[in-house]
Amino acid sequence: MDTDSHSSADAEVVDQIVSGDVNAFEILLKRYEGHVVRIVKKHIPFDKVEEVAQDVFIRIYQSLPNFKRDDSFKQWLSTITIRTCYDFWRKHYRYREIPVSSLSEKHQVWLEEATATKSSQSFDERDSQKKAREILDWALDRLSPEDRMVLELVYLEGYAVKEAASLLGWSTVNVKVRSFRARKKLHKLIKEML
Amino acid sequence: MTPIKHEDEALRQVLRRAYQEREKGEVTDQWQEEVMRRIRELGEIQASPSFLAMFEQLVWRLAPVTCLLILGLTLLLSSFDFISGYDVIQLLMNSTEEITLNQFFGL
Repeated sequence: MDTDSHSSADAEVVDQIVSGDVNAFEILLKRYEGHVVRIVKKHIPFDKVEEVAQDVFIRIYQSLPNFKRDDSFKQWLSTITIRTCYDFWRKHYRYREIPVSSLSEKHQVWLEEATATKSSQSFDERDSQKKAREILDWALDRLSPEDRMVLELVYLEGYAVKEAASLLGWSTVNVKVRSFRARKKLHKLIKEML
Repeated sequence: MTPIKHEDEALRQVLRRAYQEREKGEVTDQWQEEVMRRIRELGEIQASPSFLAMFEQLVWRLAPVTCLLILGLTLLLSSFDFISGYDVIQLLMNSTEEITLNQFFGL
């Protein structure tokens, strides 16, 4: 199915749901479950993925009357997903507890070696994915929800500033400035650890 | 010694790879059922926005105008003296020889 026919098929299902057929939502749920979960997994800790993905679909359902037929449903859905992830971190940030240092000396040694090594092969050889993830999570936990989201989208996922701005609902200037500052903060945090 | 730019890029590559290698778990079968159960609980969605939503939109639209109005009124009021009518009469009654209307209004 090409994108156009997919979009019109989505719009038809949306019309069905808005006119009262609640069960038709299952079609959208099955069609986009994978897409939503993939996005959520990138931004949210794994043990919270199901909960947040569920919230995404509830929010999508409640926002369906606002969906404009001319827009791409997938893009609209992605925007809601990203904003739900951002809201998760905003809530989390208020009640967070940062351990003084959850990283060991091993992490520091590993990071020093990994950044000094040019080849990706030696990086893989070190059985280092877990350590890298732990370091990244440690640093991201010390950033504000805004810095975290913009950093993940622009710096780590490689989204263009304009795309990230549209997903987050911010201005492009805001994304540009915040992305630059957040990157500096992340590098500073990691370098302080070294 | 490694140049700073190269070091930063190396760090970015390390972090990007770690970021993209998220745990590869899938959601459980019950998850879909749970979403649909919650959706059915919510019931049919309203095609037109509720009164509360419309009111909220109106409040936000009027918020800047209200702020400007409050600011303007505050400035206007601060340029006046706050003396009640009773006090003005008392003042005029007590010392009519000394205080003229011109003095009172600062003209």
